[in-house]
Amino acid sequence: MDNNLSILIVDDELSVRDSLSNWFIEDGYSVDTAEDAKVALKKIEAFNFHIILVDIKLPGMDGLELNRRIKSINEETIVIIMTAFASVDSAVEALKDGAYDYICKPFDPDAVTHIIRNASKNIQLSHENLSLQERIKSLVNVEDIIGGSDSILQVLEQVRVVAETDSTVIITGDSGTGKELFAKAIHMNSPRRFFPMVTVHCGAIAENLMESELFGHERGAFTGAQYARKGKFEMADGATLFLDEISTISIKMQIELLRVLESKHFTRVGGNRELKSDFRVICATNRDLKSMVDAGEFREDLYYRLNVFTIDIPPLRERVEDIKLLAQHFVKMYAEQMNRATTHVGKRAMNALENYPFPGNVRELENLIERAIVIGTGDSVRLKDLPFDRVLTKPTWESIQEMEHHHIVSILDKYDWNISRSAKALGVDRVTLYSKIKKYQIEKSK
Amino acid sequence: MQFTRVDLLEKMLPLISSRLHMNTSLSEYYLDLTHFFDPVRSQYNANDIIKKLVPLAKEGDRVVGITDLDLFIPVLSYIFGQAYLGGSAALVSGHRLENKRYGLVNDPQMYADRLLKCVLHELGHAFGLIHCHKPGCVMVSTTYVEEMDQKSDRFCGKCLSELSRRSSLGTSS
Repeated sequence: MDNNLSILIVDDELSVRDSLSNWFIEDGYSVDTAEDAKVALKKIEAFNFHIILVDIKLPGMDGLELNRRIKSINEETIVIIMTAFASVDSAVEALKDGAYDYICKPFDPDAVTHIIRNASKNIQLSHENLSLQERIKSLVNVEDIIGGSDSILQVLEQVRVVAETDSTVIITGDSGTGKELFAKAIHMNSPRRFFPMVTVHCGAIAENLMESELFGHERGAFTGAQYARKGKFEMADGATLFLDEISTISIKMQIELLRVLESKHFTRVGGNRELKSDFRVICATNRDLKSMVDAGEFREDLYYRLNVFTIDIPPLRERVEDIKLLAQHFVKMYAEQMNRATTHVGKRAMNALENYPFPGNVRELENLIERAIVIGTGDSVRLKDLPFDRVLTKPTWESIQEMEHHHIVSILDKYDWNISRSAKALGVDRVTLYSKIKKYQIEKSK
Repeated sequence: MQFTRVDLLEKMLPLISSRLHMNTSLSEYYLDLTHFFDPVRSQYNANDIIKKLVPLAKEGDRVVGITDLDLFIPVLSYIFGQAYLGGSAALVSGHRLENKRYGLVNDPQMYADRLLKCVLHELGHAFGLIHCHKPGCVMVSTTYVEEMDQKSDRFCGKCLSELSRRSSLGTSS
């Protein structure tokens, strides 16, 4: 029971107000009282009570009208009508006007305790419901997908447009570009968002299991099928079916899939009953399906059935401007998760990241930052916290002096600004190193 | 206060002291309860009786009245006990604690246990404790006797430390 709840007792009898408030205060609730509807309304307008107990017979405005007024101020407020046996009919009328429940005076202590506990649970559940809905919204809001490059903004616009429709979508892109995230964004912004997105990682399911995975099976359909089981098609009824790595499914399954996509009817493995399911299909692949069709590896009819709307996620190397935004996002996320003080990516580390080709795309960047936060100590991600070989970064300097400058910086970073060790590694004495630091105005990165 | 089993209270006194970690004493008090009787309900108004107990408590002390009479407060059909939260007085009735009221074989020990729990619970309120949700704690709210039998006659650690904090200015009598 949530004891942070506030209760208002509206009754013209002082003894009732005192007795009830004492009873609820002992339970830890915050309690206020009002002797009539006028006082009650004033208090309700000034403070948001969770539960209001209203006597049906009040001087002036009666409890029924007060209930209606309370509901017009805040529909969520729980109103419990207190009544004598003689006025149960009126209490029922109040229920029709949105009152939560009614209770006959004098109350049985057990009854009043239960009614308040149930009301508290109701309030808690509706708060939880709201916060979960908010969390779901915030999970994959299109606006929350990180990226400022023209190419990614174009993709997000496509996501927005296609989300509202019920069309089949193919998402293409290199491994690690976040195809599943974009699929979720489409689902979460579609009318089907209140149902789950059922995901099938086609590449991770053995071919002989794929049929029962998608179609489900009846009990005894095959050795080991001790129980009937719903397949993904059935589970996705009303929802979105996300077929990841669609290119990996066998030709036989492609035929079956095409048939289901066209009719939305199917039978479980080992069953006779025809089932129907209403689902939207989003699929993803990192391969070029058209060339697979040309090579005879993917059925042309299925390809055209799926290829209603295609979204191509550009690789990270083609949208370098997003690296900074994504890196900062991951720093914030992992620093919070790991309770670290890291707030940003240092200049040299960022330069290295922006020059790295990221064959593993966003996933690789995320892993790099996570690792850097784990091993790093300061308030920034430094170049030495990143694991890749600096040879992979493209140098942007041309003169020997620029090269010398950057080499000294990298050695100083490597030896954590230990001048003696850095000088030894560079093959110069400490005085020379100091003069070079002064010459190039090198400062220790924060 | 119309309570016939004074011997029971004498046995209970050391237990109350031990549970509260405070000194306690027992005294008889005569109060004419006829004014507090509600003929329609055939019960006694606890709100009115408790007011009479307040002046009996000395500075910093708590007083708990124990009676056999059936108590009510205007809005509830019955109560086992009543206290002013953080106040000086509490009231407990043994009327609804006996098995025979529920058509069961009487069990004096069970009755004594329930009475002790009620007294400790109401004194807890008088010291400012609110209902506790830790199963077994004597400050768990109970509205019928079977529920009361589920809890112990002890304060949980949290309630006990709160009790000790709040009672540091006075003792119970």
